[in-house]
Amino acid sequence: MKKTVQNRLASLFLAAGLLASSVAFSAPSVDEIVNKTNFVAYYQGQDGKAKVKMTITDEQGRDRTRQFTILRTDEPQTDSLENNDYKGDQKMYVYFNRPADVNKMVFMVWKHPGGSDDRWLYLPALDLVKRIAATDKRTSFVGSDFYYEDVSGRNLEDDNHELVSTDDNYYVIKNTPVNPDSVEFSYYTMYIHKETFLPIQTEYYDKNGALYRTNKTLKVDTIEGFPTVTKSSMENLKTKSKTVMEYSKVSYNLGLPEEIYTERFLRKAPRKWLR
Amino acid sequence: MNSPSDNDINPLFKFSIDKPNIISRMMWVSTLLIIMLAVLPSIWPKTFSSLEPLTVDTDPENMLSEDEPVRLFHNRMKEEFSLNDIVVVGVVNDKTENGVYTPETLSRVHELTEFAKTLSWPDKENPEQQAGVVEVDMIAPSSVENIEQGGLGSVKFSWLMPEPPKTEEEALAVRDRAMNIPFLKGTLVSEDGKAIALYLPLTDKHLSYDVREKLLGKIAEWGKTEESYYITGLPVAEDTFGVEMFYQMAISAPLAMLVIFLLLWWFFKKLIFVVSPMLVAMACALSTMGLLIISGNTIHIMSSMIPIFIMPIAVLDAIHILSDFFDRYAEIKDRRKTLIEVMKTLFAPMLFTTLTTIAGFASLALTPIPPVQVFGVFVAIGVFFAWFWTITFVPAFIMFIPEEKLAAFANHEGGEIDEERTAMGHFLKLAGNGIYKQFRLVLIMTMVAAGIAAYGIGKININDNPIKWFGPDHSIRVADRVMNSHFAGTYMAYLELEQSAEYAANNTDNSTQLARMKSEITKLNDEEIPNAEPVFKQLAEKIQQIKNTVPDSTSKQDSLLTLYLDEQLDNASDEEFDAWDQAQIFIDSERQRNELFKQPELLEYMSKMQNYLTSLDVVGKANSLADVVKTVHRELLLGDQKEFRIPETSNAVAQTLITYQNSHRPQDLWHFVTPDYRKSSLWLQLKSGDNQDMSAVEEALAGWVKKNPPPMGIEANWFGLTHINVAWQEKMVNGMIESFSGSFLVVLAMMVLLFRSLLWGILAMIPLTVTVGLIYGVIGLIGKDYDMPVAVLSALSLGLAVDYAIHFLARARETVKEMGSWKSAVGPMFGEPARAISRNVIVVGFGFLPLLAAPLVPYQTVGIFIAAILFLAGVASLMILPAMITLLERFLFPGQTAKG
Repeated sequence: MKKTVQNRLASLFLAAGLLASSVAFSAPSVDEIVNKTNFVAYYQGQDGKAKVKMTITDEQGRDRTRQFTILRTDEPQTDSLENNDYKGDQKMYVYFNRPADVNKMVFMVWKHPGGSDDRWLYLPALDLVKRIAATDKRTSFVGSDFYYEDVSGRNLEDDNHELVSTDDNYYVIKNTPVNPDSVEFSYYTMYIHKETFLPIQTEYYDKNGALYRTNKTLKVDTIEGFPTVTKSSMENLKTKSKTVMEYSKVSYNLGLPEEIYTERFLRKAPRKWLR
Repeated sequence: MNSPSDNDINPLFKFSIDKPNIISRMMWVSTLLIIMLAVLPSIWPKTFSSLEPLTVDTDPENMLSEDEPVRLFHNRMKEEFSLNDIVVVGVVNDKTENGVYTPETLSRVHELTEFAKTLSWPDKENPEQQAGVVEVDMIAPSSVENIEQGGLGSVKFSWLMPEPPKTEEEALAVRDRAMNIPFLKGTLVSEDGKAIALYLPLTDKHLSYDVREKLLGKIAEWGKTEESYYITGLPVAEDTFGVEMFYQMAISAPLAMLVIFLLLWWFFKKLIFVVSPMLVAMACALSTMGLLIISGNTIHIMSSMIPIFIMPIAVLDAIHILSDFFDRYAEIKDRRKTLIEVMKTLFAPMLFTTLTTIAGFASLALTPIPPVQVFGVFVAIGVFFAWFWTITFVPAFIMFIPEEKLAAFANHEGGEIDEERTAMGHFLKLAGNGIYKQFRLVLIMTMVAAGIAAYGIGKININDNPIKWFGPDHSIRVADRVMNSHFAGTYMAYLELEQSAEYAANNTDNSTQLARMKSEITKLNDEEIPNAEPVFKQLAEKIQQIKNTVPDSTSKQDSLLTLYLDEQLDNASDEEFDAWDQAQIFIDSERQRNELFKQPELLEYMSKMQNYLTSLDVVGKANSLADVVKTVHRELLLGDQKEFRIPETSNAVAQTLITYQNSHRPQDLWHFVTPDYRKSSLWLQLKSGDNQDMSAVEEALAGWVKKNPPPMGIEANWFGLTHINVAWQEKMVNGMIESFSGSFLVVLAMMVLLFRSLLWGILAMIPLTVTVGLIYGVIGLIGKDYDMPVAVLSALSLGLAVDYAIHFLARARETVKEMGSWKSAVGPMFGEPARAISRNVIVVGFGFLPLLAAPLVPYQTVGIFIAAILFLAGVASLMILPAMITLLERFLFPGQTAKG
């Protein structure tokens, strides 16, 4: 299985022209690896924007799509990995375009690593802004196979991390939950690309030790200097449902104003920033 | 060989008395060969892969053939709505005040749920797939979603019971949460608070036995608990049925054999005479079952009864031969000559009784129920075997017995004279005289009986219920009763709703699209979206142009339009971008007009339908997409009960549903609606699995739909096992009427042919008609449901009941010819012929009674009713026929001078 991941990724990165980039000579610590991964996956740039097309395909091959725009702004004013300064609160604004009947629906998050996140949902057809109670983050994100936590990022402190192996291309990290009762998995394994620190494949194992959920990075582009996942999939082996997310119009450091992450802008979308 | 009479005897029979060794070897070899062909592939399936192994089939669905539209639709719907067969675990605690809601009981429920999640393993045939319990669709307190109010007016998604409660209050909170969710109330939790039901869907229903065993093992670990556990569900019932079916075959069939053996021994005294009919019966039963397996047919509830039908029928003719042989041997004192005499008398009636029996069973092949067809055809084959070996092996076996032994036996027994001194002989003699003298009384009694029968038949209640195939005290029935008393019902029926193809084809009119476009422009202008008007105008032109380019294919039109809109949006200037974005959304919403089950109008209709259905007595509860929408809508609006309703717009419905899908189990929605929102399923929980109850529900709904025509050309179609049962029952009732009337005519024709007289032919049919009428009359009068085994009995009685009439009439004709008149023939007729018939009634009738020892109700029904049919047919033949002959003597024996 690892072989195929490597082959697939080797070609992937050739295409992205990333092999030429710098190579880390000294082996980093587990802590350095997971922080760098957390950074490239969720914190690159001061803020960011992407249009996402999500395709959910069920066991019977029936699919449905959703399109939305994600805006994200980081609280910490730095991208520095030193002392993990990059890490901190984040705000996210997810604006739905399609299907037409959920157009203008908004999902907003104030993420507080270490605490519980604040979440809001705006349902235009009911003219309703609704707070979603802070409970389980491992619930479906709008009916897809991605969990809310996959989209917002899981707190590093929630898991114990262990470097299981290293090969030419990957660091293989095994993550075991600190509080096993709070999650449905017993552990998950990440294949982290050595140069970009992007998680290329993540495998979740259930309480009986069986693989049941797989996240794959299908395409990577370097955008404004940041290695960026532009296509990824999540497959649930139990429901045999699969979701593919394709990112387009990705941009970083747009200077998004803080005020858009407020209740007022749920009802009146910041059109200018959503194009 | 040098006897003159040899020339006109049947060559097959002649061969068997000339070469008894060859015949007996033939029977052994052919039977063993068939058994080997059947057994080898069952024991070593790999070595003998080209042969068919034994397969057991306990699936009531197979009452319909695989390609039956009802079944195809059922299977397609099960797949489209991802519905699996389910094992249900009932947990009942009525000892405590709070029922099952105690920390102790709930923690065991939690433990059992976690254990059930582990009951999944790689599929043997396809190791990539998992087989066992479908964890993601399990319904249990710790695995279902709860949506409720969180703090600060927020909405909260969580597991209903994330962990076992530690206190009484926490336990009761689980109850209160579940009771607030319509989907769970009456399904997961009983309304009386005493019971919880866990639903464990299976990848394949044939795994239910394993799953049940493992669950029982887990429950046993706890020892005595305050709550009781009941494991039920259709797959469990089916597997249990399979086990008991073998018990039936292993116990009832040999028991029948033993009873027949003992009765024969009692009648014929000498063991040596009893051996040959028993060997014939065994050979026939084994070869027929062997052939059944070799031909790839399954052991089904019907086919498992084949041996018990064949064995009594197989000894029938042998009894006639042996009876007659003894009567004559005392005079002739030569086994060969005696056999030839016996065969001269009996060959034709035996052939015809065999043919009529075969016709009766073979007629079942005309019914549209595959297991009944297989049953009929193979019993017919068995009856043929029985005839063949009876006219060959039974005489051959007598040829093996030394003349001295036979002589000693005949002398010892004293033949005819002694026979008449027995109680039965005495009684028959008296009865014969009485009937002759009082023939009018007999005929009046017959008329009265016919009247009662007609009245009873009018009261027949057509009904069946596979769960009731188990006896009332069986653990399956007990579980069924307990569960239905606590919950809204364990029998599931499903309604599929979709737009009729006809309506869809006639309503593709897009003429109103322009009007909708206009109002959209007005709306966008109000929202100050610049350039809405020119952009939408451009769009309208493009739509027309595309329609002209590819007028025939709407899918091509759609993809061209999508492509166009993507291009426009990509290249739009800042001033026009928003307008093009809105244009794309407009087209998307036009397409969504096909997503019917987001339309409030339709959901309201479903709600109304659901309310009507739950108003029916037998319907405990209905679940539908409308409930999901209403529940989520209520929780979004502060849990206010007033908001338990369908919102006003389809967008609001869509947004409610997408909110619902933010849960742990987004796939739950697809049990109620397909992802294209074109088909929806409505679940009914029925308190009874009786076909008549399901039929009543179907009829009631059809009437309601007629009065309340559905919007948008929606049609409602039933599926689910309860519906399949109704479908095969309907087919069976009609099929049985056809097959019975068909075989009745065939048998009548055979009788006319045999007696070369229409009058005699009709006469032969009278006892059987009275018998069948009375049996069904009694069934109607005592209120026994007309179910599958009862239906099959008609064919059986047809085949068997006519036998006695054939024997009686054939002998009557012969005797009248010998004695000169019917009056003087009555005495002899109530001698040997009447005794042979009576013996037959007793041996065969009692032979079926061991079926009463079977644990399954259909076998008991068959046992009782066949015994009753044989008894009645015997009595009817011995009473009605002589009375009728007395009445019609002038017409029946026209050559004869007046009564003397």
